[in-house]
Formats: sequence, C-alpha cells, structure tokens
Amino acid sequence: MSTYVYGITASSHPSLPEGMEGVGNPPLPLRVVKAGDLAAVVSDAPEDLRPKRRELLAHQNVLAEIGAAGAVLPMRFGSVAPGDDAAAQVLTERADHYKERLRALDGRVEYNVKANHVEEAVLHHVMAANPEIRALAESNRQAGGGSYDDKLRLGEMVAAAVKAQEAEDALALQRALEPAADAVSVGPESTGWLGNVSYLVERATAENFLAAVEQVRTDMPHLEVRLNGPLPPYSFVEPGPAEPAGTTAGGADAGAG
Amino acid sequence: MTVVPAQQSGGGGGSSGLYDVLELVLDRGLVIDAFVRVSLVGIEILKIDVRVVVASVDTYLRFAEACNRLDLEAGPRKDPGLPDIVGQVTESGARGKSKGALSGAAETISDAFQQGREGDGEGERETKSRPRARKSTSSRRKEEQE
Repeated sequence: MSTYVYGITASSHPSLPEGMEGVGNPPLPLRVVKAGDLAAVVSDAPEDLRPKRRELLAHQNVLAEIGAAGAVLPMRFGSVAPGDDAAAQVLTERADHYKERLRALDGRVEYNVKANHVEEAVLHHVMAANPEIRALAESNRQAGGGSYDDKLRLGEMVAAAVKAQEAEDALALQRALEPAADAVSVGPESTGWLGNVSYLVERATAENFLAAVEQVRTDMPHLEVRLNGPLPPYSFVEPGPAEPAGTTAGGADAGAG
Repeated sequence: MTVVPAQQSGGGGGSSGLYDVLELVLDRGLVIDAFVRVSLVGIEILKIDVRVVVASVDTYLRFAEACNRLDLEAGPRKDPGLPDIVGQVTESGARGKSKGALSGAAETISDAFQQGREGDGEGERETKSRPRARKSTSSRRKEEQE
C-alpha cells in the first residue's frame, strides 16, 4: 500500500487531533511517520486519487489543522510515497534541509492576495488617460459602432492599455503590501487576475499585514482585492530566490524580501 | 464536510475564495522527487488554459463593445480620475457585472471544481466543460483541446 504524504513537521509537533481524516472516499485515517527529529503526516493513498474538489479540500484541511499547532512544510497535492518506510527514508536523508525550513517558517503563515480590476473603472481610466483611444471610440460610436476592423482596432488598443494598467497596479499593490511581510512569492500570471502574490507573515504581527490590505482596498478602489489566509506556507517551502515549481512567469521578484 | 477550518477569507469569499486556495494546493507546496504525483491530467489542461493571454479577437470585440456603451460624458474634456469613477460604478450597481473579460478564465476553473464535486458520485471526469449560456474565450478553447 503506498503512502499519501500531507506535510512534514518536527517530531515534537503536537499529536494529531483525534479522528482526523484525509483524502479518499470514504476519507482515510491519518497517521504519523517519524524519523529522528522529523515526522510526516500521512494516510494510505487511495487507489484512484484524482484532483477533485473534495480531495483538494481534504488535503488543505489536514494542513490547516496541523499548521495551527506548529510549523509544517505542506506537500503539493497528490504526493505519494511507495510506503511509510520510503517516506521515513526521505526524512532521514534530507533532515538538515527540512529542519532548516521548519525553523525558517516557524510562527509564520502565508497570505495569498489576488486582485482584479473592476472592469468598468479600468475602462473609464484607460479612455480618460488616452486621447487616441477616446477619439477612436467616439468615431466608432458615431458610425453606429464602427466596422468590424474599426472595432478590432479599438479593442486591441484598449486591451493593450488595460494590460499596461494591470502591470502598473500589480506593482503598486505588491509595493504596498511588501513592507508588512517577511517574504514574497509571485504566482503565475493569468488572465484570471492581474496580481497573484503570496506573502509570508509572522502570525504574531498578522494584524499589521491585514491592516495594510485594508489600506490598499481604500487607496485603490478600482481593484477588487481577494485575501486568503492564514494558510500553510505552500509558497515558501523552498528557500531563496527559487520560485515555486510550476511558476512560469513573474518569478523575478520572488524570494526573501 | 468541513469547509476550510482555521481560515479567514476576506473579500472574495464563496467559491472564488475557495478556488484561490485550491490553486495553491495544486500548484505550490513541497515536491519530493522520490515520491510519485497522482495524475493531474485534466488540471494541467486547465492550467495551460487559464494562462492564455488576453489577446484574442473575442476580447478585442468585447472591449470595443464595452467602450461603446461606456458613458463618456465625463471623459473627453474632464479627466474624472479613478476614485470618482468607481463611485459612479458602485452607485449604478454595475460592480457585479463588471468583471466579465478579466476574470473569465478564473470562472472556468471554478466551474471545473464545481463539476468535480458534482461528478464525485459517478466518478466522472471532473474537468469536462458542460455547455454554458455565456462562454468565455478560454472555455471554448478548452473544448477544442479535448
């Protein structure tokens, strides 16, 4: 039976709450595999594990519970060891590295901030700031919407201007929140958001960070800012400037801040 | 099912807040090369899908249309500045409708998670897109890939 691994903690980590369950249908019971100073929180691996919403939530819930009791290195969803022995062996082989990470992340949590433009507001802004776009929009309007090519030309100009504005606002957002965090990890670019940045924040001073987010919401009302946390430090399990694996863009600013 | 305990989700909330967290669960976190990762085939497609850039004919046309509808009375001679504009937007109650193109891709993924839950019973493919009233560019692209 292979072993599903949720996260790595110190072996001195408080024991799991009674009856905690993990992934699988029905949910599988959790257990702890210890090796020296380290421990892995694991369960049996379900035969046909798929990245379904329920399974992802189970993974996240387990890590949230463990993380509330002390530092944890969260595994990415779906990590399966050949067995408990193999999991223990990895802990032993890389003990120094994991212990260093656990120390670095002790007492710290991740907050993920994503932002979108309020579309109408950004369109207004782009038009107001750009006479050329405004003129073209006006002539299109007078022509009853304009030809297909006219529309395309206008839309392309607007899209470019919106994109530039997104980059500008993403930077402004990040600059505003950085001072309240220990480290910053820039997530992948996407059309789903203009900014996707995770911040490593000390639990004890999290209020300062939350206040900074509220300030941003006040100062940049044309942004819809989504805050999620406190979370296990998914984005900070690897040290230094390395971006999280899978990151395709925007990693240049990642790393210790 | 317990829904994400020990968490506070400001702002977003609802399914978009959940999506924001699940994206991290899938995409970040420790990877150990001695371990196997379960197949995330469907999700990989979604991840590529969501990174399709804004530049598409559909988006251009949509923006052009949106600009055409935009009330420019305040625009040409007087720069209204963003805060004022947002005031107007909020007053007219348009805030909810205003996310269209910019968050279309995120909605697509949220839908996929939604379907994942619905499909749990029969073990269906959780990433398959079902026909929708309003399709975003990216969801259409996804169907082409399938």
